[in-house]
Amino acid sequence: MLVVGLGLAVGVAIGEPWWGVSGALAFELVRNLVNLHQFDHWLRNRNRRDPPDAGGLWGDLVSQVSRLHRRKQFHKQRLLSLFRELRRSTASMPDGVVALDANREIVWFNRKAAELLDLKRKTDFGIQIASLLRVPEFSRYLAKGDFSTSLRVPPRLGDVTTLEFQGVPYGEGQVFLLVRDVTRQSQLETMRKDFVANASHELRSPLTVISGYLETLALDDQLPDELRPPLSEMRRQAERMTAIISDLLELSRLEASDEQVVGTPIEIAGLLSLLRKDLAARDAKAHTIELRIESPDGLMGDMGLIHSAFWNLVDNAAKYTPAGGTIMLRWWTDDDGGHFAVTDSGPGIAAEHLPRLTERFYRVDPGRARDKGGSGLGLAIVRHVLQRHGAELKIESIEGRGSTFSCHFAPLRLVREPVAKGSDSRYSAEA
Amino acid sequence: METADLSHHISRRFNEDLERVRAQVLSMGGFVEQQLAKAVVAVVEGDSLLGETVARDDYEVNKMEVLIDEECSRILATRNPTAGDLRLIVAIIKAITDLERMGDECEKIGYIASRLAQQERPVDKYREIKHLGRVVQSMVHDALDDFARMDPEAALRVARRDRLVDEEYEAIQRQSITFMMEDPRAIRRVIDVMWVVRALERIGDHAKNICEYVIYMVHGKDIRHVRIEDVERELTKSESTN
Repeated sequence: MLVVGLGLAVGVAIGEPWWGVSGALAFELVRNLVNLHQFDHWLRNRNRRDPPDAGGLWGDLVSQVSRLHRRKQFHKQRLLSLFRELRRSTASMPDGVVALDANREIVWFNRKAAELLDLKRKTDFGIQIASLLRVPEFSRYLAKGDFSTSLRVPPRLGDVTTLEFQGVPYGEGQVFLLVRDVTRQSQLETMRKDFVANASHELRSPLTVISGYLETLALDDQLPDELRPPLSEMRRQAERMTAIISDLLELSRLEASDEQVVGTPIEIAGLLSLLRKDLAARDAKAHTIELRIESPDGLMGDMGLIHSAFWNLVDNAAKYTPAGGTIMLRWWTDDDGGHFAVTDSGPGIAAEHLPRLTERFYRVDPGRARDKGGSGLGLAIVRHVLQRHGAELKIESIEGRGSTFSCHFAPLRLVREPVAKGSDSRYSAEA
Repeated sequence: METADLSHHISRRFNEDLERVRAQVLSMGGFVEQQLAKAVVAVVEGDSLLGETVARDDYEVNKMEVLIDEECSRILATRNPTAGDLRLIVAIIKAITDLERMGDECEKIGYIASRLAQQERPVDKYREIKHLGRVVQSMVHDALDDFARMDPEAALRVARRDRLVDEEYEAIQRQSITFMMEDPRAIRRVIDVMWVVRALERIGDHAKNICEYVIYMVHGKDIRHVRIEDVERELTKSESTN
């Protein structure tokens, strides 16, 4: 406006007002074009150049755009530094992390994971992780998709290192795989197990000698009468120690492997009648023993282990059930598989003890249980035997009414027709 | 360099088929690796039970081979793959045959392990088998890694390691002959050891074959029955011209 007015004034002064106005408009047009060009030039190179100096509307426009640009730049920087921070922190994590997509292809991994799993940055993105980490257990763990538990395996067989894998599902089917080197822990665990096994084994020979002499002494007619009670107590305790040691040895044998037992067909009806006979022979408290065999089906398993587990349950029931009580052994099958239950009319177990009952040496009532002569390992053995057969131990109990210990075997374990009688001879050998 | 790119198919199902069958081959490979590791441990530790387990589990390998073979035939028949895809399928069909043979060799080692466990163990506790076993195991492992990564350069390096196995085999053979001459009572055992070593050497050869398929798959070059040095020259030449 100002320019046009000035042009008009100059035009009037020289007597050609239209020329003055036209000249002013042309000047304005050129100025705008120059500004537009500068603006465009600056927009294209806005990171390297200062915004152009321009007055009026153009100046406003330039400052607006440059403010927007600065704000965007600021956010970008902040995101970038956040991202870098994130990447640096995951890279320095002591555990390996691998991100997998829904097809279990490798999307990303940190430095530790590359080191532990021997992954290569150049080639390994987009490859299915099971193709590189081919340990069958790992493939199964990944395929199952149940990440509530972790998995411990060596990255390849015969390797001394043991890795622990833990999947963490996120998003739509993606999984974060955490990898940890647990070589040291598993070595310590092995050492502990070996120690228990060795110590038990070493204790056995001196104990045999002691028991032997105690037995000879007890048979001696010249033994003074006042020594008889302590001697018989010594014999009882020696027997108990032998029982504990043999249980410890059995437990360490069971712990030595996690592999599932294949075994042979076992005729359960025969096994249970045998258990009942054994119990009746040993039982001093005259319990009523009830046997309910509701299915002719047998079970695939290791005869020795199954016998030992069932015997432990039956023996426990007899120990804790007062004289005159009843013990019921029951075997039945349905669509869920085979089930064996021992129900007693004993004092029962308070609910707070139930979850810890299968721990080694766990005592509900320390004072009482010891004089029953148990080793404190029976239920731990039962649990391990069942684990090796893919079975489960369930304990139900009502205080004052009695307890039920039941073993649940998968349908795959059942032998659907009566097992041949020929294998019966093994029972007496095992018992 | 030409790489086998599996992501450019119009049909997504076809892609998935290829990926799945490749994953199956590698999981079969993983099982064979485990069989091999177990078989070597069975011999070295004198674990007859483990030896029997290995021999018994060989049917799993055979089952996988049949399964993958059928899958490949189906893909060939229904999808008519060409170029890189066709090479992938052909390489897979060949690789599973080699894996199956490896499985058979492991089975053999398993049998012998359970027999050797009954006999007196030598003073050196089969150290040479342990060593050769480790070399062969790492060869199989790396060959399968390169198959998964489709990395021909690394595959070539693995294939070259087969010569190491052959040399080791020769050395053990010579040593065994000395053992037999020294003590004729040991002949039976030493012959069994020879069988194991022979089986390991064969497994090394099969691993080398798999490496050759990787090179074939990626470069489309058949390098069987060609000297390794020539292959290497070829490959570096084609690399520099590309």
